[in-house]
Amino acid sequence: MTLRSIIWYELRSRPWAVLSNSLAILLGVAALVAIRHITVYSEQEISQQLSHLGANILVLPPEATLQDYYAADKNGGTIPEEHVSEIYLAGLTGVEQVSPRLNVPANLGGLDVTLTGILPQSELEAQTAWQTTTLFTTPKAHEGCTKAKLGTADLESPDSLVTHRAIQNLKANELVLGADIAERSAFSAGDTVELMGQSFTILGVLPTTGTVDDSRAFAHLHTVQDASGSGPVCNAIEVIGCCEDAAGDLVPQLRKLLPNSKVVTISQVVQTQVGVNRLMANTSWFVLVVLVVVGGTSLAGAIAANVRERRREIGTLMALGATPQFVQRLFLGKALILGLSAGTLGCIVGLTTAVLAGPAWAGVTVSALPVTSLLAVVMATSLAILSAWWPARQAAALDPCLCFQEV
Amino acid sequence: MIKLENVTKHYSRRGETITALRCEQLTILTGEYVAIIGPSGSGKTTLLSLLGGMLSPTTGKVWLGETSVYDLPTSARSEHRSQQLGFVFQTFNLVPYLTALQNVQIPLCLLGQAAADQERRASEMLSRFGLADRLHHRPSEMSVGQQQRVALARTLVNDPKIILADEPTGNLDPESREVVLDAFDAAHQEGRTIIMVTHDPVAANRATRSLTLRAGELTEADTDLQADQSPQRLSA
Ligand SMILES: Nc1ncnc2c1ncn2[C@@H]1O[C@H](COP(=O)(O)OP(=O)(O)OP(=O)(O)O)[C@@H](O)[C@H]1O
Ligand SMILES: [Mg+2]
Repeated sequence: MTLRSIIWYELRSRPWAVLSNSLAILLGVAALVAIRHITVYSEQEISQQLSHLGANILVLPPEATLQDYYAADKNGGTIPEEHVSEIYLAGLTGVEQVSPRLNVPANLGGLDVTLTGILPQSELEAQTAWQTTTLFTTPKAHEGCTKAKLGTADLESPDSLVTHRAIQNLKANELVLGADIAERSAFSAGDTVELMGQSFTILGVLPTTGTVDDSRAFAHLHTVQDASGSGPVCNAIEVIGCCEDAAGDLVPQLRKLLPNSKVVTISQVVQTQVGVNRLMANTSWFVLVVLVVVGGTSLAGAIAANVRERRREIGTLMALGATPQFVQRLFLGKALILGLSAGTLGCIVGLTTAVLAGPAWAGVTVSALPVTSLLAVVMATSLAILSAWWPARQAAALDPCLCFQEV
Repeated sequence: MIKLENVTKHYSRRGETITALRCEQLTILTGEYVAIIGPSGSGKTTLLSLLGGMLSPTTGKVWLGETSVYDLPTSARSEHRSQQLGFVFQTFNLVPYLTALQNVQIPLCLLGQAAADQERRASEMLSRFGLADRLHHRPSEMSVGQQQRVALARTLVNDPKIILADEPTGNLDPESREVVLDAFDAAHQEGRTIIMVTHDPVAANRATRSLTLRAGELTEADTDLQADQSPQRLSA
């Protein structure tokens, strides 16, 4: 038997008390870890969004809130697909691409994926062509815009979905895979796969973007509509402007054109996200303070109560030859185990929460940040030891004569 | 040899000073079996604590052989208890969350012995007290008599030269009391010094020397007194 085993036997004899004593630290660490993880990934997401979608405008269902842009994009309401041609036919200045998207959950070879329906440019052009007799329907170039006008050749490769948010040609039975999905499912271009009861040929795999697109599969909008029975609708329409300037001017025009939809620029979405992030960062400081104050005092109180309760036992140990240092280590050791286990458990709970709730709360995919997690555990452990310092010293200063006291 | 020289112990509470013990000279030779008797509050436990190196006297010196116990630092006094002393308590003072075996291992653990040695020595000791089949029982799972036997095993496991007992038979039935007193007799035979505080005339009779404490004053008891400590006789 050692000092360590004495601590262990004592803690094991009252597991519920141990749990309740360290609950505040556990919950504090869990909240802190969850918030930190979501914030970090959300910040990464923002910078990626900005670099990929800087000049874009989103047309969303009116009930979609800015905060849950991704959620709305995925599960939220829908808008009629005909908005696409309405935008196209309005001939607004600076519109480069119009790209409707419909997201449905699907299963690809055992993997849960989001299947996104998109409309190839070739069809968009064909669709709008028969609705009008004039030749002046194609969008006008933005005056003074230095960006070169895209040609159809630029959109030939599936990669253009990443570079230009659009693709020239996509057949009804063709599928483009995001980088993550391709890696996880081990499918590659040319393979034939089953999805939503239909057979698809994989046209290509997209390069890694670091955005939600990586974990999506893309098929023809109409195929997705048919397979999901959604009717002629989509969740969002991305309007790609030729430059930031054009995007800013387009918003009011699109709002006028589509009064029943919500029209926002990506930078607005990002701004909201930045706001959410700032709030989260502030919240995490608040949680940290609560963790230190509540977790620390509750543990200090618990250790002090433990010392009081075991006065005669401490006296007995001293009578049997335990030094004050041994007694002090006995209680600091308890605190160390409590802090370490509460920290580790809290970290696991926080991480799990972040991974499970990240996509729904902040629209980000979260994975573990080892340094953050380790730091949280170290912090919880040091906090526990610090809070136990005073009660442990008091235990060490107890009178060995207490062993003669009758209970 | 244990020697008390001009020892006094005062307790002060709220400006009031109580003299719990006063002793000009007391010598207990190695191998003596001493009973300390006296009414409640007379300072018996105080004396035992002083002898155990756990309570500094207000004045005077406590000698253990050539060492003045209270001139040692606290940690050295702990070490001294660990190596030389064994305690027996009225309410046994077993650690509730440890098994019989683990309780007996405590003194050896504090001496820094290896786990295997601790276990072997502790189970030998428990077997000696007829508890070989109770090694892994917790105090709450044992009878009062069995608990006191575990406590005795714990007292003797580090082979103490001096045994200090405070009312060791106070909570026991006659049969269990015999077990304790027999263990003390055996320890006495082995040459250990035993100092036992007791109210129990039967226990006091087994000792070879009796001391009486009355209001903190220590006197050598006459032979008649040691078996009988009715209040009238003590205050006479
Ligand atoms: N920590 C203390 N503070 C103040 N007074 C104390 C303290 N410990 C003991 N005393 C007093 O010292 C005196 C002797 O106490 P002690 O415990 O030695 O008596 P005792 O002979 O062991 O009594 P009992 O037979 O009831 O156990 C008593 O008057 C007691 O009130
Ligand atoms: Mg007493």
